[in-house]
Amino acid sequence: MQSMGFRLRLGLFFVATLVTVQLIMAALVYEVTRHALVAEGERELTANAEAFVAQMDDISRRVADNVQVLSLDYALRSAIAERDRGTVLSVLRNHGRRVGASRMLLIGLDGTVEADTGNAGNVLKRFPFPDLINNAYDRRTAAVVVMDGKASWVVVVPIYAPQPVGLVVVNVPLDDALLAHMQKLSALPRDIELAAQLTPGHWSVMARGDNRSDLTRSVAAVHGGLPWEPMLTRVDGKEYIVLAQHLKQPKNSAPVVAVLGYSLDEALRPFRSVVLAGIVLLGLGLGVGMLGAWLTARSVSRPIETLAASVRRIEAGDYRAPPSMPRRDEIGQLATAFGTMTAAVRQREEHIRHQAMHDSVTGLPNRVAAEATIDLALDTEDMTSGALLMIGLTRVPDIIKTLGHALCDRLMRDANERIRRVASGAYLARVTDAQFMLWLPGAGKPEAVAAALRLLDTLNEPYQETDISIDRLPSIGIAMFPADGSQAGMLLRHAEVAQFAASGSARALSFYEAATDPHRPERLSLMGDLREALDHNQLLLHYQPKLDLVSHRIDGAEALVRWNHPRLGWVPPDAFIGMAEDTGNIHRITRWALASALAQAQQWLEQGLQLHVAVNLSTRDLEDVDLPSRIRALLAIHGLPASCLTVEVTERAVIGERDTAIQILRRLADQGIGIAIDDFGVGQSTFAYLRHLPVSELKIDQMFVKHLAVDRNDQIIVRSIVELSHQLGYRVTAEGVENALALDYLASIGCDHAQGYFISHAIPADGFAAFIVGRDKTHA
Amino acid sequence: MCRDHGVQSMRWLLGVAFLLAWGAWPVSAAELVVQFTDGHGHAVSDAVVTLTSDQPASVTTPPQPAATRYIDQKHETFIPYVQILRPGDKVIFRNSDTTRHHVYSFSGIKKFEFVLRPGDSSPALVMDKVGIAAVGCNIHDHMSTYLFVSGATAVAMSDQDGNATLDNLVPGHYTMHVWHPQLHPGQAQPTQAVNIANDSDNPHVALALSLIPDPRMEMDDDD
Repeated sequence: MQSMGFRLRLGLFFVATLVTVQLIMAALVYEVTRHALVAEGERELTANAEAFVAQMDDISRRVADNVQVLSLDYALRSAIAERDRGTVLSVLRNHGRRVGASRMLLIGLDGTVEADTGNAGNVLKRFPFPDLINNAYDRRTAAVVVMDGKASWVVVVPIYAPQPVGLVVVNVPLDDALLAHMQKLSALPRDIELAAQLTPGHWSVMARGDNRSDLTRSVAAVHGGLPWEPMLTRVDGKEYIVLAQHLKQPKNSAPVVAVLGYSLDEALRPFRSVVLAGIVLLGLGLGVGMLGAWLTARSVSRPIETLAASVRRIEAGDYRAPPSMPRRDEIGQLATAFGTMTAAVRQREEHIRHQAMHDSVTGLPNRVAAEATIDLALDTEDMTSGALLMIGLTRVPDIIKTLGHALCDRLMRDANERIRRVASGAYLARVTDAQFMLWLPGAGKPEAVAAALRLLDTLNEPYQETDISIDRLPSIGIAMFPADGSQAGMLLRHAEVAQFAASGSARALSFYEAATDPHRPERLSLMGDLREALDHNQLLLHYQPKLDLVSHRIDGAEALVRWNHPRLGWVPPDAFIGMAEDTGNIHRITRWALASALAQAQQWLEQGLQLHVAVNLSTRDLEDVDLPSRIRALLAIHGLPASCLTVEVTERAVIGERDTAIQILRRLADQGIGIAIDDFGVGQSTFAYLRHLPVSELKIDQMFVKHLAVDRNDQIIVRSIVELSHQLGYRVTAEGVENALALDYLASIGCDHAQGYFISHAIPADGFAAFIVGRDKTHA
Repeated sequence: MCRDHGVQSMRWLLGVAFLLAWGAWPVSAAELVVQFTDGHGHAVSDAVVTLTSDQPASVTTPPQPAATRYIDQKHETFIPYVQILRPGDKVIFRNSDTTRHHVYSFSGIKKFEFVLRPGDSSPALVMDKVGIAAVGCNIHDHMSTYLFVSGATAVAMSDQDGNATLDNLVPGHYTMHVWHPQLHPGQAQPTQAVNIANDSDNPHVALALSLIPDPRMEMDDDD
């Protein structure tokens, strides 16, 4: 479409230029010609007017000469002298014919008409033009006069016999015939008229040349008078230059003028053929020009169209070479360059694609490529099983920081080679800086394990360079298809989770276990669900009884948060407590737990059961400065003494020696609330810290208590803890009691309380009272 | 033209002496001088001035014998241009030229025509009527001469300088007539009243004449 526009534009431009130039030329030529012709016409007219006057003079001279001869006729002279009127008249008439006069008069010396061949009744009247008479003696006298409504050339010649005896007046009529005659004899213009002003202000035409146009009437009508200078005007729709010329006249005569016209149209006529030729040429030129422009444009626009189409193809990703154009000119160069460019673009794109899909250091496919390839493989029908191994070199970030990228790259390349040697043929990729991925299609667990062990063997050999030896510390996580995922993405993720798990353990190899996957996506929605659970009372407190080892009676309960998720069922506290702590929701949980537990305690009290309740506090809770006052308020609401509440905090929470935490604990302790250190022994606590804390109780972690019955070391440790705690004034509770032997042992060493599955799991509040009653009965 | 009184008295004495010498009649010394010029200021010759007394009875002119004047033709020219004649004078045309001349006149006072061969003379023509006869040659159009026949008391013709002198005038009232061959036709002859106060009167008159070109000159065709 656009090339059409280009072609059209070029064509139009060419045409427009041509036409404009031609028109301008034509206009110029026309104007110049016209000007020249007008000037020429004016010159000609002026010359013609003068020529006309000169011609009239010639006529007068001729007539005068003729009359001169006549005037010397003896017979006439004697007839005049003797007043022989008859003879005079006949002679005059005769001679008048000879000179072409229409009328001859004999004027006496006193100015009266003595004979008139034209009008006998004129005799004795005064000759109407006495000034002609007076001048006749001095010089040849001739003038144009209007007599009886007609214009005529009048020549006056005195008759000498030998003294002046009279004058002969010769009348030569100025009519069309005379003008035509004059025009024939000389180069007078075709358009010539004689006009007389018989009545003032009105010009009548006396005689006309052989023109057809009405010069005098038209000009006089339009301009009011006659032009005494050459004037351009319109006569009968045609253009004329008109000039009026005065003729020699006596005083008494009405003005007679010659009106000459120069037809501009006639003058322009020869140029018409030129104009015609010009138009034909213009038309021809136009045609040729348009054709030429069209062809030129085509020869330019066609290849451009082709190239444009090629561009569109390239845009769509098709890098086939554009059609070659065997031309040497600029378009050909463009096409060649285009082809080169296309090839270069294709190469670059391939390179970029490769780079996008591959790791530059090892040349292996990257994560994106790996996912795509594996997805493709999984899509095939006969893929029933497979194993995805995630091989992680956890030390890599460390190595980079210590020894730099260059060495690390070499190390990775070395690792790549080793893996290749061990697992040739399998699909290998480098999914992160520190992780390789191996895909074993069709493999089951045993094959996966075998492959993993081989890999571990080869990778466990340190990487050697000149004076450096680096341990790679590989760990491998395995995700099985289709068990651990049906898509590459999921498999990779799960394999990675397994690998992280493996990197922490001694074996450095582990399979993905959904149960222990702390990164299940449900986690992400868990917090919202938790908030909703809080709002809608979906959280419950279960109470694990605390057995007093002295009285063998349940005298307390640890409140544990339980969550019955509508979709997931019972969500273990590990899953949401940690996240709640991270997101700050723990405050709400703690507050709710405190309120619920105290309310329950009050209830039990009303039921006649005096029970301590212990509520777990998190690290975040110990940042809440309002906690002590809030607890106090709660105790007041429920009417409970502070001594019936214990708060349990882990070692971690107090380890940092944060002033706020310590102050809060102090305030709680000052109120009389018990402070217990949970999971004692497994963290980094020292008694040195504990000295400064208002702790009232230590709870030994279940790790030490689980195997208490059989493990001698555990026994030693636990006994030590009990003795030391007692020495320091702390009570001790053992967690995780799972058999009677452990229980007995704890009782024997003087431990204060025991908690564990052997005694009871955590049970809901309504079952708690029944449990106590039942137990009392059993152990009474 | 003023003369001082000294000279004038001298002349008067001479005049008286002259008159006494001559005898009986009382001779007058009054003189009229007329000077003629044309429209361009040039002197005009051949102008004829006549004085006619208002009281013709007081002036008597002694009869003079008839004179015979000759008009010659030489070089295709009449000589003189103007001839003053008294009534009764005779005039003879003589051809002293090498060519024939056809002399004619259509004048009212005398009509005549004859062909004169070289050397011939015409018979004597008696000009008894008063008037002006224009005489021409039919063969040669430019030839013309004028016979001024007048019985006036005093007649004079202007000379080359344009001066005409009329002397021996008797004091009295006169009418002066002026004529010239080339006076504009159709116009009346100039006339003027002249008074000769006394015998010693010497009036001068200057007149400008309106004249047509001399037809004796070759007519040129250009204007």
